[in-house]
Amino acid sequence: MRKIFLTIILLFTLCLTSQAQRAKSVILVYLDGGPAQTDTFDPKPEAGRNYHGNYKGVCKTNVEGIEIGEKLPLLAGMADKYSLIRSMTHGSNAHETGHYAMITGDTSGGAVVYPSFGAVISYMKRDSYKGVLPCYISVTSANSRFNEGGFLGNEYKSFDTGGKPEAEEYEVEGLVNQFADRKRMDKRMELLSKFETQPMDKCTIDSLRAINMEFIWGESREVFNLDNEPDSIRQRYGKSRLGQSCLVARRLVEAGVPFINVRMTGWDTHKKHFQKMNSMLPNLDKALSALIADLDCRGLLDSTIVLCGGEFGRSPKVLWEAPWNGGRAHFGTVFSYLVAGGGFHGGKVVGKSDKTGEKVAERPVRPCDLIGTVYLLMGIDPYGTLPHVSEGDLPILPSLKKDSYNDGLLYEIIDIKKPDHEK
Amino acid sequence: MKTILLTIVCLLFTTIEATASDRCRDDVFLRRAYLTLTGALPSPQDCVKFIDDTNPNKREELVDFLLESELGLKYMQMHWGDILRIKSEFPSNLWPNGVQAYNRWIYEQLLNNVPYDQMVRDLLLSKGSNFRSPAANFYRGFQKRTPKNIYANINLLFLGNRNCTDNGYICFSQIAYKSTKEWKEEIVYIDIHKPLPWQKVSLECGAEFRPALGTDWRKNYVSWLTSHDNRRFAEVMVNRMWYWVFGKGIVNEPDDWREDNKPSDPELLKELTDYFLQHNFDMRALMKKILLSDQFNSKMAPEGSYIPQRLPAEVIVDAIASVTGIWSTYSSRVPEPFTFYPPKTRATHLGDATVSSSELELFGKVSRDVSLESQRNNTITSRQLLYLMNSSVLEKRIRKSPILQKIYINSPTIEDLADAITLRVLSRRATKEEITLYKEHMEQDNLPQMELAIDIMWTQINSNEFLYNH
Repeated sequence: MRKIFLTIILLFTLCLTSQAQRAKSVILVYLDGGPAQTDTFDPKPEAGRNYHGNYKGVCKTNVEGIEIGEKLPLLAGMADKYSLIRSMTHGSNAHETGHYAMITGDTSGGAVVYPSFGAVISYMKRDSYKGVLPCYISVTSANSRFNEGGFLGNEYKSFDTGGKPEAEEYEVEGLVNQFADRKRMDKRMELLSKFETQPMDKCTIDSLRAINMEFIWGESREVFNLDNEPDSIRQRYGKSRLGQSCLVARRLVEAGVPFINVRMTGWDTHKKHFQKMNSMLPNLDKALSALIADLDCRGLLDSTIVLCGGEFGRSPKVLWEAPWNGGRAHFGTVFSYLVAGGGFHGGKVVGKSDKTGEKVAERPVRPCDLIGTVYLLMGIDPYGTLPHVSEGDLPILPSLKKDSYNDGLLYEIIDIKKPDHEK
Repeated sequence: MKTILLTIVCLLFTTIEATASDRCRDDVFLRRAYLTLTGALPSPQDCVKFIDDTNPNKREELVDFLLESELGLKYMQMHWGDILRIKSEFPSNLWPNGVQAYNRWIYEQLLNNVPYDQMVRDLLLSKGSNFRSPAANFYRGFQKRTPKNIYANINLLFLGNRNCTDNGYICFSQIAYKSTKEWKEEIVYIDIHKPLPWQKVSLECGAEFRPALGTDWRKNYVSWLTSHDNRRFAEVMVNRMWYWVFGKGIVNEPDDWREDNKPSDPELLKELTDYFLQHNFDMRALMKKILLSDQFNSKMAPEGSYIPQRLPAEVIVDAIASVTGIWSTYSSRVPEPFTFYPPKTRATHLGDATVSSSELELFGKVSRDVSLESQRNNTITSRQLLYLMNSSVLEKRIRKSPILQKIYINSPTIEDLADAITLRVLSRRATKEEITLYKEHMEQDNLPQMELAIDIMWTQINSNEFLYNH
C-alpha cells in the first residue's frame, strides 16, 4: 500500500516537473545601481512635481489600463509581451545587501552566503547541459561585490566575457585574440607540449587545454561574432553597450546557454538624475524592446525568461536640494521588475505601490518569490535543497516556507497551478 | 669492533647520501621558499645570487630573511585576513576604515612576532571602537551577532571544532554594540550588568567555570583556551601552519578536528607542538622549523615527498604582473573612503576581499565569507587555462611587457634570450634541450626574434612549472 502511495507521489512529481519545464534560458537585464521605478515601469504623473520630477507625461501601452514612463515608447507598444511587478520589496537601501537579496533571494544576516540564482541554475543544469559554452555567462561582467558562487563554489560562477560588444571587434576574453591566429596557436601549443616535461597534473591540464581548443576554434567563436548579424538588427538593438549586449544574449539563447546576465552600470543616479535618464532610458527602451520582439519573432520567447530590474529602485520623491540638485536616492521599500517569456504571461500587472509610490499598496513580492517562480519555470523545485560543505543540505530559497501563507510565488502570471499545500 | 665501526660509518654515510639525494636543488628551494613565505617570485638577481652562493647555511639564512621581510609579513597577514574574513562589505561589513585598522593591527602583531597565545588573547578580549581599537573588528565582523554564532566561530578558528555543543557561549553573552555619530563607527562593549547565568559554564573537555558578576566573562574562557594545558589550541595552529605550507594538514581539513579524523602523522604533530610550546607560541620559529624540515627540502613527488600545489589566485595574478612588469590597478568604490591602491600594489596585499578583479575571481580568490581554509579553491579549471592560452589581456601584457623588451634588447643570442626569460618566469636557467626547441620553433616559421621572445614567455607562463609551487 505504502509503495503504491509512493509511486503515485513520484508520478505526480514527475508530471509537475515536466509541466514546469517550459523555460530553457534566462536573460537577466540587470540595471546595476538601481533604476527609478517611477521613471520606468511605475509612473506617478498625479503625484506632483516633487515626485514625477521632469517626467510628467506617460506612455499609454497597447494594453488597456497599463501606462509606463514617457521615455519608453517602444516598450509601451508591446506591453502584451511582458508583465510588470510593481510591488517588489526587500527593504534594503544599501547596494551590497540589496544586490545580495535580489540576486540570491536570500535575506542578508544569516551565517551562510548564498549563490546567485544564475549559479544555482548553472549547478542544477550541470549534468543535463552539454554545450561547449559555459552554462552561466555575464555580458560583459558580473557584479563583484559578493561572491556569485556563494557556498556552491567557484565552479558555478559566471563566465565574464569582458570586451566591448559595441566596438568594431568584440574581444571575448579567451576566445578572440587578434595576435594569434589558428596557425600561431597550433605552433605555440606544440612548443608548449614539448617544453612541458613536469608530470604535475599533466593529464588533467592537457585534457582541459583540448576542451579549450575546441571552444576557441569551434562554433562558440561564431556565436560571439556580431558580424554575423545583419546591420538592420544591430541598429534595432541600438549600438550602445546595452543594446549590443542584449543582442549577444539572444545569440547565446539560440546556442542553448541556460543563464545570461546582461549587466549595465550607471543607474546609481544620486545627482543629475533626469539629465542622465534622458540618455539612458532611450537606450534601455531600444535594447529591451528589440530583445523581446526579436526573441518573439524567432519563436524563442516562449522558452526564454527575460527579467529586467536592479538591486532596488530609487526614491519616488525627488531630492531637489543641494548637493543632489534633482537626484533620487536608494529605495528598497517598493520598486518594479519587468518579466517576460518562458511561461510568464504578458500584459499583466502584479501588485501595486501607493499613490506616491512610497509604500507597497497591494501584493508584496519578495526577491525569493520572483526567483522561486523562475526556478519553477526552469523545472527546478523552489523548495529543493543545495549542498553546503559543512552545513549539509540547505533550502534553495531559505525565505520560502512551504506551509507559510507569506509565500508569493507568481502563480497569477504563469500557467502552473498553485499546489494545494500552498493555498 | 672495527667492522662494527665501519658498518656504522657506512650506514651513516648511506643515510646522509640518501637525504642529500632526496634534497631538492637550490633553485627549486629558492622558488619554493619565496612562494611559500611571501607569495612572490624571486627576482632574477636573487636567483643567480642564491644559486651561486657557496655558504652551506644559505637555506636557513634565506628563510630568516624572508620571515622578517615586508613581503613575508604581508603574506602571513593575508592568511590571517582569510580566516578572520576581513572584508569591507557583505557579509563581514567591516567597511574600509575598519578593514584598514584591522589589517594594520595584524601586521603589527606579525612584525613584532607577538606570540600566538598573546595575539589570540588580545583578539578575543578586544573591545572599543572598530576604528580606534582594531582588534574589536573581530566582534564586528559577524552578520549574526549572537553569542552562539560568535562562539562557534571561535571554536572553529582556534580549536578546529566545527560542531560545538557545550554552553561556552555564555562567556560571550555580555558582548553588546552601540553606534556613534561617526559613519560606520561602532563600539563593542561588555555589558557587565548582565545578570549571572543560572547554569555554570561547562565545556566538552570537562573544564568548568562560574562567571562572576561585574567581570568580563570572556576572560574565564580565553585564559583556559590559550593556556599551555590546552594542547589542542597549540596543535591547531601548528597544523594550520603546516597546511599553509604544504596545502594539506597533518589533520585535514585543518579546521575539522574530530575523533574520527585522525592526524596522518601523530609523531610529527607531537614533535612540532612540543616545539611550539617550548618556544612559547613563537610563530616565526615554528614556521622556520617547518621550512627547514626534510619534507620541505625534499624533491618533488614521486622522486621525493613534496607535493606540488597550484599557486593561489593572488599569487598567480601577481606572478604574471611581476614577470611582464605590467600590474593591475585596484580600487574600491565602497564608502567610506573610496580606496585607490597605489600602482604596483600586489593582489596579496589588498587586505580586503571586497576588492577584486576578474582575474582574481577567475583563479579563485577567497571571498572571505566563512573562516574555513577550504574556501580557497586551487583546482585548475579550463577557464583559467583559457585565459592563459588565448586571452587578449594576457597577450597584450606579454607584447607590451617592458621587461621582455629589455631582455630582447640585451640578448644578442637565443641562448641569452632564453636564459633571461627563464630566470624571470621560472626562476632557473634554460636547459640545452629547451634552447634547441626554441631554435626549431623560430626556424620553422621564420619568426623574428621578438616574436620568439613572446612565444617563449607565453609558453613558460602556460606551463605547469609556472602555475605550481613545486
